[in-house]
Amino acid sequence: MRVWELCKRNLKETYRDPMALGFLLGFPLVFMLLFGAIFSGDNTANYPVGVIDEDHTPLSQAFINEALAKVSALEVTTYDDADTAMKDLKFGDLDAYIVIPQGFGQQVNSNWQGEKADITLEMTYDESDIQISEQLISTINAVTRTFARIEIPLTINANPIHIEAKITYVDFIGPGIIIFGLLILIPTSARTVVRDKEKGFLSRLLTTPTRPLDFILGYSLCLVVIAIAQIIIFMVAAWLLGMNIIGSLWLAFLILFLTGLCSIGVGMVVASLSKTEQQAEPLCWLISMPLAMLSGCWFSIQLMPSYLRGFANAFPYAHSIEASRGVLIRGVGLEAISYDFLFLVGWAVAIFVIGVMLFRRSMRS
Amino acid sequence: MTPHNIKKAGAGDDFAIQTFNLTRKFNSLVAVDDIDLNIKRGELFALLGPNGAGKTTTINMLCCLLKPTSGTAQVLGYDIQKQPFKIKETIGVSPQETVISEHLNSQENLALIGKIHGIDSTELKTRTQELLVTLGLESRAKDQVRKFSGGMKRRLNIAMALIHNPRVLFLDEPSLGLDPQARRAIWEYIIKLKREKTILLTTHYMDEADFLADRIGIMDEGKIVALGTSTKLKTDMVERQTMIIQAQSFTQKVINEMRSRYEEVEVTEDRMAISDKKLVFQEIVDLLHTSGVTVSSAYMKEPTLDDVFLRITGKELRE
Repeated sequence: MRVWELCKRNLKETYRDPMALGFLLGFPLVFMLLFGAIFSGDNTANYPVGVIDEDHTPLSQAFINEALAKVSALEVTTYDDADTAMKDLKFGDLDAYIVIPQGFGQQVNSNWQGEKADITLEMTYDESDIQISEQLISTINAVTRTFARIEIPLTINANPIHIEAKITYVDFIGPGIIIFGLLILIPTSARTVVRDKEKGFLSRLLTTPTRPLDFILGYSLCLVVIAIAQIIIFMVAAWLLGMNIIGSLWLAFLILFLTGLCSIGVGMVVASLSKTEQQAEPLCWLISMPLAMLSGCWFSIQLMPSYLRGFANAFPYAHSIEASRGVLIRGVGLEAISYDFLFLVGWAVAIFVIGVMLFRRSMRS
Repeated sequence: MTPHNIKKAGAGDDFAIQTFNLTRKFNSLVAVDDIDLNIKRGELFALLGPNGAGKTTTINMLCCLLKPTSGTAQVLGYDIQKQPFKIKETIGVSPQETVISEHLNSQENLALIGKIHGIDSTELKTRTQELLVTLGLESRAKDQVRKFSGGMKRRLNIAMALIHNPRVLFLDEPSLGLDPQARRAIWEYIIKLKREKTILLTTHYMDEADFLADRIGIMDEGKIVALGTSTKLKTDMVERQTMIIQAQSFTQKVINEMRSRYEEVEVTEDRMAISDKKLVFQEIVDLLHTSGVTVSSAYMKEPTLDDVFLRITGKELRE
């Protein structure tokens, strides 16, 4: 009852304050729109393809420069080794790369001579976009067959790998920005509580029969409502911007909800440790901005040195980005993300317990 | 059992607030120093003192916001450390800072406190209406309070301490920072509450304490340095009387004459202030008259609480 009255009051204070509301929803939405707009680039069917020439014969060179380079649908880049090409593939700079194996020239030559030949190409591609990969396979196949003048189908050693889909940038960035919005819940949570603490509202309520737990629940409930509203608004916004949501919305929501709880908990901890908004605010940004970067809101954390990845993985956000990308884009189920999921549950529970303890302590004087 | 309980059994019916060697230290600073207060039921008691005297710290301990370093206190017979929630159910507190929920309207602000105290909605409605009318906030009942003037916010601040009809009311500097008109309005309302509730009020305005309080405790550096009714404090503590005389002019001869008779004589052009332990009005007027001074006005200056404070602490009571 008391909790609900406090929650109602806190909600009114938030939604009647245009600044607070604008910050909560507007800030991450602006980010989302910006990223969406920057990377929306109308997808002309130009497939970036890497080529690694292990044959080093005039024929393999001719295949690259004469045959492949002339296909307008392909944007060919040559690589010295497969590792570099793999990195670019994972980062989404390439849709596929082809390895021209040793003996390719010889086999093509044999075919031209009318001898029995086994022409092989090794192609590694991102299978998550079936449209792109199928089109690529057939294009490469056609080009090679024309080049080698063969009637029989060419053997392409297809080597599909599964990397995060890169249908549009929004697909990749969508979950990241949603989590970014939930990271901003840290300063919001802390501010909501510290403002009341600083202005004496908490003290005023402490002269009434309100118990410390009533406060914590009153604030948390209000922030949970805000978090849910945020999650829904961002999911809809990401969907409107063209994010292809494949997986279970409920599971994604649950992951995001747990992430929101973690943020509220962190906010409570900061609020308990600070006396004024001026103390809490910078501390919150010091926590949330580096976490946004390190957890992969804007780019893949695979690019980071391992010690930074280890650091990021100690916090829930990298896990929730990983898990929500998995669910939303790749459509995986709970079993595939069970570790991340359990990590989130554990973290949310732990930070709430710590938050409640610290808050109670800060109330005692 | 404990000595406090024995005291309670004897005096609980008479006293709403009692403190026993109540002390609060902040590190090395002794904010409240060994205070023993007995405030009767239905009494309006004012703690008067400069900023930093320990008034708010005292109130904060009495409403269970702050734990005493030593000593204790009882409110309506409940111990502030052992039964804080019993106390919180029966008190109303209007803090020194205006503490209201800025984006809520005044009805919502009052409803929040009312519902926390578990008042049912019908009673809440009547009480809200009553308070808003008495405090002149009715016409703006639905406006968010951030748009209110300082005086209106202050009145709402007090209304929030009253919505649940508490038996004991703590008013911490109720008219702080208000213009004379708004102060007057708040004073009139506080006067109406007298007898009905026990009120502990803190102020650093002597006229406020003088006007409102049944008894005044003068506080300085954590201690109650004087206690009593306003009249008693003034007559007991001020041994000196002052008379002010207005005249066309005072000759040097007259001034010297007066200086030889009275302890302290100050002259500024047409105004003479005479102070001494005992002054007889008629005697001075006659004396001036025979010396050829045309007195246009003369009056005995009543001692103020400021004089009392100055007398006891050697300091002015001003901010």
